[in-house]
Amino acid sequence: MTSPGTTTSQNLSMRSIPQEVASRPCVFAVCLCFLVSIAPHFVNLPIWVVGIVLISLGWRSLQNLGKIRELPKWMLIPLVLFGGIGVFAEYWTIVGRDAGLALLTVMTSFKFLESKRHRDMLILVFLCYFLIATHFLYSQSVLTAVTMFVTLIVITTTLITLNQRDDSVSVKQRLRSSTQLVALSVPLMLILFVLVPRVPGPLWGLQTEQRGGVTGLSNHMSPGKISNLIRSNEVAFRVDFKGEIPAQNQLYWRGPVMANYNGFSWTQSPRKPLHRLNITVSEPGIDYTVTLEPNGEHWLLALDMPTRVINGSFMTEDFQLTSKQKINDLKRYSMQSRLAYKVGLNESRDYLALTREYPDKFNPKTIAFGKSLAQRFDDPTAIADEVLNMFRQQEYIYTLRPPALGNNSVDEFLFGTRRGFCEHYAGSFALIMRSAGVPARIVTGYQGGEYNRVGNYLIVRQSDAHAWTEIWIEERGWVRVDPTAAVSPSRIEQGIDDALSDEGSSFRIQNRNPIFGNLLYNWDNLQHGWNDWVLNYDQRKQRDFLNKLEIGIENWSDMVFALVFLLLSVTALFWFIAWYRERPPRPQAYEILFNRLLRKLSKKGFRKKPAEDTRAFLQRLPQRDLPQREQIAGIIELYNHIKYGRRGASTRAVSNLRTLINSIDRI
Amino acid sequence: MRSVALPGPLRRFIDNWFESHNPPSRDSILLHNRRLYILPTRFGYLFAIMLLFLFLAAINYQNSMAFVLTFMLTSLGILSLWHTHKNLLGISVQMQIPRPVFCGEDCVFEFELSHGNKSRRYAIGIQYLDQPTVYVKLEPEGSSAAKLKIPTHLRGEFKPAGITVFTRYPTGLFHAWGWLKFDLPILIYPHPAADVRLQHTMVEQYDGQTSTSTIEGDDFAGLREHREGESLRHISWKAYAQGKGLLTKTFQGQARPSLWIDWDLLTQSSVEEKLSFMSALVLAAESEEQKYGIRLPGLVIEQDYGNAHKHTCLQALAVFRQPDREQEFRPPYD
Repeated sequence: MTSPGTTTSQNLSMRSIPQEVASRPCVFAVCLCFLVSIAPHFVNLPIWVVGIVLISLGWRSLQNLGKIRELPKWMLIPLVLFGGIGVFAEYWTIVGRDAGLALLTVMTSFKFLESKRHRDMLILVFLCYFLIATHFLYSQSVLTAVTMFVTLIVITTTLITLNQRDDSVSVKQRLRSSTQLVALSVPLMLILFVLVPRVPGPLWGLQTEQRGGVTGLSNHMSPGKISNLIRSNEVAFRVDFKGEIPAQNQLYWRGPVMANYNGFSWTQSPRKPLHRLNITVSEPGIDYTVTLEPNGEHWLLALDMPTRVINGSFMTEDFQLTSKQKINDLKRYSMQSRLAYKVGLNESRDYLALTREYPDKFNPKTIAFGKSLAQRFDDPTAIADEVLNMFRQQEYIYTLRPPALGNNSVDEFLFGTRRGFCEHYAGSFALIMRSAGVPARIVTGYQGGEYNRVGNYLIVRQSDAHAWTEIWIEERGWVRVDPTAAVSPSRIEQGIDDALSDEGSSFRIQNRNPIFGNLLYNWDNLQHGWNDWVLNYDQRKQRDFLNKLEIGIENWSDMVFALVFLLLSVTALFWFIAWYRERPPRPQAYEILFNRLLRKLSKKGFRKKPAEDTRAFLQRLPQRDLPQREQIAGIIELYNHIKYGRRGASTRAVSNLRTLINSIDRI
Repeated sequence: MRSVALPGPLRRFIDNWFESHNPPSRDSILLHNRRLYILPTRFGYLFAIMLLFLFLAAINYQNSMAFVLTFMLTSLGILSLWHTHKNLLGISVQMQIPRPVFCGEDCVFEFELSHGNKSRRYAIGIQYLDQPTVYVKLEPEGSSAAKLKIPTHLRGEFKPAGITVFTRYPTGLFHAWGWLKFDLPILIYPHPAADVRLQHTMVEQYDGQTSTSTIEGDDFAGLREHREGESLRHISWKAYAQGKGLLTKTFQGQARPSLWIDWDLLTQSSVEEKLSFMSALVLAAESEEQKYGIRLPGLVIEQDYGNAHKHTCLQALAVFRQPDREQEFRPPYD
């Protein structure tokens, strides 16, 4: 005889992996699943990789239909080599975000070609789950999250398709089951998301590669640079102010500062970190929080003039907040700024000399004009006013579509075309000041922003990009001068849309869409909340949030305890609901009553066998020890009447049965 | 996967534990919480490793959506544990009394799975060791039949202990199972040797006179009730047409020579060969409608005939010096 002991080891072989060949619907399901998982990446992948994906899937599908033969095994090695070399040739590396994704995609596609068995299909499904994660290296928006949920449902449906074993489950039922699984996972996911203690990363060195943002300010400025950027309607950052939002013409968001000029473009000059900011202020500071979209660069935008430095960043000697790491992910920081200030009173001689330099090969007219101004006026302020007056009074036009300029771009602009964008005005103004002997530099950044009345915050877009100048004056330090304000006061007072209304510019939600304006503000507010609550939920935010709840979760052991407790309660709740909905039908009232009688009898030692007929059971009951035998015989007769009789369980019969059985109880 | 050799006392402890939680049943086995077991499959472990990698990547990149995905998949894993378990819970399995077979034929176990819940149950497998699995599904409050065929290699009384009812539905990350141990042994008769005819030299003939009425004979003696296994040739169809039921005509006279199938007269060398030969003789004697009896060391079955007698004889042969199954039926691990 088999001893029961063998059972312990048998279960191991029971759980071994199915070796059989995957059925036709399974292969199709996995193909579809891979296509859905990879499709959003088609824009991020080189075209030949997309080609490989589509050809592999097409081949495998046709092979599945029996139209073409299986790819010979020996072909795979050259294919894999070709894929690897191809990726290397494309990126000159096989690690990092883009190359890694391309390699993973190519190899998964080839894996498809040789996959036949059930086990391979399961591994491919797991790869699809993994592929979802790669999407988040490119975008973490609300839409990407929605795509993730759809993809999860598709992949889980495929997993169910593979595990149904025969084609017994309808596609609709599979979709329903997987949707249910994914939907029920959401509450558990939220618990895990909120309560799993966050560890500050990174754990290992990251490749310095650009992730996320592609548009944004540049580290050099030349005519046309900013007007290109300004066509983008993308959000650069959003700002929540603690108090009142300052007036539009005060909102200068300071970005890269440029002091090197080569006659055509302005570039940043390397500057050391500032150890101590000497600033003279006359007003209280303004507190606000910036949620900066990834810009792939180092600069942190802040209202002119920031007076705080956040962790992992420093301020340079030209008062530019700089992050030590590239901003490749959404960044949120609290900041304080002063609108009225005096800085740079003791600027170094070398730097002042640098900010007066200019190449004299280009733009001779402008240089001559600057020099003539220096002879006419002593005071740098007077020189600046003179230039601004010239912009104001002469036929200078602020436009997004200035004519093309040649080698002496400033000369051509100032004395020829007279049509330009902020970088033209800022650049030429700075050159005039320099040739007049006044230290001047360019500051790029953003100006203004759109107020979202739904969420009470400011949206600053790439279209708000701006360039202005700072000149250095004895006793006053670096002073901001915005020549664009002289040409087009509405740009500064009201914003870009008003300034360019002739050109049909509509970057603001309000202007673009007066009807759905509110809806779009809500949508932006949702994205802002998403950034704030989902993408920015890090260790600090987690601690703050849990403290604010005031339910006694203070350290990570509390978190783990709450986590386990909540997970158990939610699964128990699920379990209870499922049990309640799927419970077997309640036994009939007369069955319950009769069972009560049977329990009474079995206590006295008369036990009815499970399949025994009630009448046969009655025959077994002894006459002597059971005085109520007659009554019991009556009850059994009535019970059989109710159960098998034509009139069935009428209310009267059941109440009679109840009376009879209760009377037995009393004795 | 190879089984791990466990030290004796531990092995006995586990055996006892299994035995006490899975008592063999005669009628039906209800798969309730204490009878169900669940463990991750290899893919479940693979999934867990993938989750770990995703979690580390999410920490490293401080990527919130990667956290969301990791936790989504973790929850999916937790829920599939529950769903897989739920897919088997509350199912009651009945086994029909198995029909005896000859060794070498497939023995068939017929199971009836039923449940009273309002949910559908999918992809429920029944498997014996590494034999092919039978899958069934259950409608709400429905039932399904499953036939499990197991090839036989040894005669004797066979109570398979390794039959499980299991499921991996819906996600395949977990394997939930219950043991189907029924106290209903199947009899595996010795394989009847080929080319055996009733050569009277091999069996001891018995030429005793009989005076009782038999179905063999010359003179009609009367009618008596039909016994199962008797040839239809002797039924009195006239009586049946008159509504008297199935009656067998009996005759007075000398019966045909009856015989003994005797262990001691056989010349084969091994026990199995002898039993195999005797098994064939029983079948031959029955088909030639002779009276036969069996003599085994320590056991004599008196001469008789009919289907019931045939099975009594074959059973005796099946369980005679029954070989130890445990050595032979150990599953071949992969």
